Amino acid sequence: MGDVILTMKGIDKSFPGVRALDKVDLEVRKGEVLALMGENGAGKSTLMKVLTGIYTKDAGTITYEGREVTYHNPREAQADGIVIVHQELNMMGHLTVAQNIFIGREFKKGPFIDDAKMNEEARKLFRQLNIDIDPKATMSDLTVGMQQMCEIAKAISHKAKVIIFDEPSAALTEAEINRLFEIIRELRKQQMGIIYISHRMDEIKRITDRVSVMRDGAYVGTLITDECTKDDIINMMVGRVIYEDPKTESQVAPDAPVVLKVEHLNAGRMVQDVSFELKKGEILGFAGLMGAGRTETLRAVFGADPKESGDIYLNGSKINIKNPQDAVKAGIGYLSEDRKRYGVVLQKSITENATLACLEEYVKGIFIDNKKERKVAKRYVEALKTKTPGVDQLVMNLSGGNQQKIVVTKWLVNNCDILIFDEPTRGIDVGAKQEIYELMNRLVKDEGKSIIMISSEMTEILRMSDRVIVMCEGRKTGELDIAEVTQEKIMNLATMRD
Amino acid sequence: MNRAKTKNSFLKKIDLQQVVIISVLIILFAFFSVASPAFRKYTTIITLFGYMYYILLMAIGVTFPLITGGVDLSIGTGLVCYSIVGSYLINHQGMPIWVGIAVTLILGTLMGAFNGLIVAILDLPPFITTLCTMMIARGLGSILADGMTGVWPVAGSENGWVRSVLKMNLADGTIFPIGMIWMLIIIVIMTLVLTKTRVGRYTIAIGSNKEALRLSGVRVVKWHVIAYMISGFFAGLAALAYGWTFTTITPGTGAGFELDAIGAAIIGGTSMKGGKGSIIGTFLGVLMISLLKTGLPYVNLQANWQQIITGIVLIVAVTIDMIRSKNQ
Amino acid sequence: MEKIKNNRVVRAIGFNRIVLIGVIILLYIMFSVLTPLLHAGTTFVSYERIMSALNYAYFIGFMALGVTFVIATGGIDFSIGPVMFASAVISGYCLTKYNIPLPLCIVISLLIGLAFGILNGYFVAYRFLPSFITSMASMQIAKGIGSVFTKTQTVTWPGTGNDNSWYRYLVKWNNIPTGFIILCLVAVICAIVLHKTRAGRYMLCIGSNKEAVRLSGVNTKKWEMLAYMICGLLAGIAAIFYVGAYTTVQPGLGDTFNNEAIAACVMGGTSMAGGLASILGAIIGAIIVALMQEGILAMGFTISYQYVLTGLIVLVAVTADIMSRKRKN
Repeated sequence: MGDVILTMKGIDKSFPGVRALDKVDLEVRKGEVLALMGENGAGKSTLMKVLTGIYTKDAGTITYEGREVTYHNPREAQADGIVIVHQELNMMGHLTVAQNIFIGREFKKGPFIDDAKMNEEARKLFRQLNIDIDPKATMSDLTVGMQQMCEIAKAISHKAKVIIFDEPSAALTEAEINRLFEIIRELRKQQMGIIYISHRMDEIKRITDRVSVMRDGAYVGTLITDECTKDDIINMMVGRVIYEDPKTESQVAPDAPVVLKVEHLNAGRMVQDVSFELKKGEILGFAGLMGAGRTETLRAVFGADPKESGDIYLNGSKINIKNPQDAVKAGIGYLSEDRKRYGVVLQKSITENATLACLEEYVKGIFIDNKKERKVAKRYVEALKTKTPGVDQLVMNLSGGNQQKIVVTKWLVNNCDILIFDEPTRGIDVGAKQEIYELMNRLVKDEGKSIIMISSEMTEILRMSDRVIVMCEGRKTGELDIAEVTQEKIMNLATMRD
Repeated sequence: MNRAKTKNSFLKKIDLQQVVIISVLIILFAFFSVASPAFRKYTTIITLFGYMYYILLMAIGVTFPLITGGVDLSIGTGLVCYSIVGSYLINHQGMPIWVGIAVTLILGTLMGAFNGLIVAILDLPPFITTLCTMMIARGLGSILADGMTGVWPVAGSENGWVRSVLKMNLADGTIFPIGMIWMLIIIVIMTLVLTKTRVGRYTIAIGSNKEALRLSGVRVVKWHVIAYMISGFFAGLAALAYGWTFTTITPGTGAGFELDAIGAAIIGGTSMKGGKGSIIGTFLGVLMISLLKTGLPYVNLQANWQQIITGIVLIVAVTIDMIRSKNQ
Repeated sequence: MEKIKNNRVVRAIGFNRIVLIGVIILLYIMFSVLTPLLHAGTTFVSYERIMSALNYAYFIGFMALGVTFVIATGGIDFSIGPVMFASAVISGYCLTKYNIPLPLCIVISLLIGLAFGILNGYFVAYRFLPSFITSMASMQIAKGIGSVFTKTQTVTWPGTGNDNSWYRYLVKWNNIPTGFIILCLVAVICAIVLHKTRAGRYMLCIGSNKEAVRLSGVNTKKWEMLAYMICGLLAGIAAIFYVGAYTTVQPGLGDTFNNEAIAACVMGGTSMAGGLASILGAIIGAIIVALMQEGILAMGFTISYQYVLTGLIVLVAVTADIMSRKRKN
């Protein structure tokens, strides 16, 4: 391990209503792989965005190669040798590998682009990394893993000294990950500083030298990888005290009937052989890390995306859900994490959104019964304590929490018995969160609804669920009763790969 | 999975679509030749080329906006507008012919720049933007040329040389379609522009992933505008080819020409989704459309069937394009 | 200003529509003043001029009503003008050459419009083709079919005094502009469909956020297709009013009218981005388009100025719409 190449000290960053980074420190040395770990929303990505100039920091200093630096955009950081290999690949699929690597800085020969030289240079880069990729291949023909290698090659071609890998292995196969690690070791040998963001414990142990942990926007500490155990790291990641009292035991009677049963559901890479049951009056939590396949699973159940195989039983009888129409008819409602895109029609009024799923019940003759639909909208606005001047208000003028209530209203008006909440409180401020929680509890207790709740927030899972299902990379890795749940257990299952 | 991959790339290498078009071209040609003895004449080829030049030039131009994921609907009425104004300057304002030619090309390029700026900076949908300029071009030609019909010099008259730019009379009286040679040269040049220069590279990149290109530090707006300027400039070239082939241009016409060009490009493998297209493919598409235009009257289908055929071909081509891009 | 905007009557009609009515009055005054100045001895202020402008407003109005539904869903239909002409030409040919009874010919006209609506709607809603390219293709087909059917002949519907001329009373009866009354009636029906029925509600919501509507369990394809069918049907109706006013139709034309109908819509406050539509606005827009046309001709300009103006109007209206949306977000 060499000298320190990069130091971030006391970095602060706030967004309206949120303190995303709180006096964060980080130190990277030449020729080391530093793991940056933390739960979803711990601030890892924000910190990296501050480093590469995508966000401007509110306070703190970044010292790089002995001088203080501030970058205003990723290009400046790149030019200085700090490069990020993104999780979502920034590729132009129609161009070749070499064309992608040298986009924006093509070699020229007279008026023409010198593709031969670009191919040659790309080949040199690949040789340096010991990778076998044809620079002339079209990018979209490559596997995700190979595309990732190209991104790395592109990063190195910028004469990088610090390379940040943002969850590079999420979409890779085992063999590809092995290749990736060989490359990373090669880069380490060349005295580069490497920041490696990942959730996978086994990888951290295999490839990294030190582990820095963040939690809730703050720096927690750094460990030497060889000297610590997986449990040490998990303890640092989740070591918060849960202030809001967690549920201690399931509120559902053990003999409550099963309302929804899903067996051996398959839908692409993100949903592999998932089975689960939902009992009446239960809140079933789906925990896991980003990209674990939870949203994909429930979208497939709801018919929003096609499924390959699997059976769904509603109250004991098998039903065939081909599209959302079938699901809605069966009394299932889906509340997306992205309310604005998939939940509400922003430019329309509360009333219009409320009756969207069952407008046929609010028709008299051929006309929409405006009085009736306004009445029902008003009833639910009051019941859910939605803050609005009236039911004719456009949904776009409501706050996030109230928009969420409109989506709930839509499904309640349709008399849905099963509600799928996908990240129910994302983008909702603290006060409104509380209300959404109370609402969900009321729905199961008083209205006899059953709820599936996908959440990436540990506190939310611990506080709301009667039972928790944990997923990792498209597979169900565990099922826990709330009485036996701990943060550590969930994190263990969420990072458990087979 | 792996096998599907190799099969896919194998198909890509031989470019199934172009093979299909060439086969269809051969079948169509054989069909017309068998069905009508009159079709099997040298003059048919000359007529075919006459139809082809202006459509080809428009189609080559519009391939660029299409590759960016946009479209340019203004080229059809634009062509008529530029051609009328150019010839008006020569006939009624006593300008030398090169001024008329230059103005025709400049007007086209300006219109392209206007479209490009609105699309790239104001972020208006390309089809609405160019629909508006399509309407504007339709009226503008008549206004600028005082409602006159456009007339380009005929063979033998002063400046009659323009006729022989596309169609040369040889010493023995036969007609030599020299325009075809220019077209081939233009095809080569534009293929180079599309595949070997930054203009082409960034045009493809904009259609493929505009945001990634921006993050790579490329000034996207500039190259986006240039793609539309190429389209406009080629509409100007097409205006010359049209005028030099058909001599008179009626004001207010030209609507629908753009669909021949866009249809040809899509038949030739350019995707409406952007990122993909080739000049050779566009050329094959144009050949097909002009062959239909020339051949149909020989099998007793009136010229009006051409419009129906254009419409059907367009829907079929876009449907295939949709299915193909969905499968990817 | 805010006070005016919040007035109840103003809100019911829509501020933008009231401004447009002001525009109509201003245009009328402007043309009345300018016409005698530019063309000595002529006048713009006459009953004939108003009737002439109205004749133009009818068929543009019907088309604008139809395309309002399509634009409401976030699509566009460029085929309405040529479809209207194809309907008029083919049904007229049936009437004059094959002696098919007039009522049946009117039905034929409507059915042809509807057929094109089905064609467009199917490919847009069920095959996911971009609406602009689909409708441009069917525009070519409409032009071609009209020409093929009539062997490119001009078709002249029976003139006044003829046995079969009662259809002209739909447009004008004893100097009463019956066409205007019918247009208003149809507009009321359209407004009811758009704002008071399930179909209209779904169309508007699809235009705002198609995916959210789909995830609410609504069969979005069906309703989207219906919008194109309504649009086609209204183009068929527009055909009857076109021949009722002008009797003569040529095949292979009509595409300039698309633009005027679309201009009428966007002027009236229908957003090209979808989700926001005004039937009253479309009618007022159609009247402005017709008045402009009449005025431009009366002042001695050619129709070319109308083309340029409509192009600019749409461009400005769409830019304004996009800017205001950006500001809101």
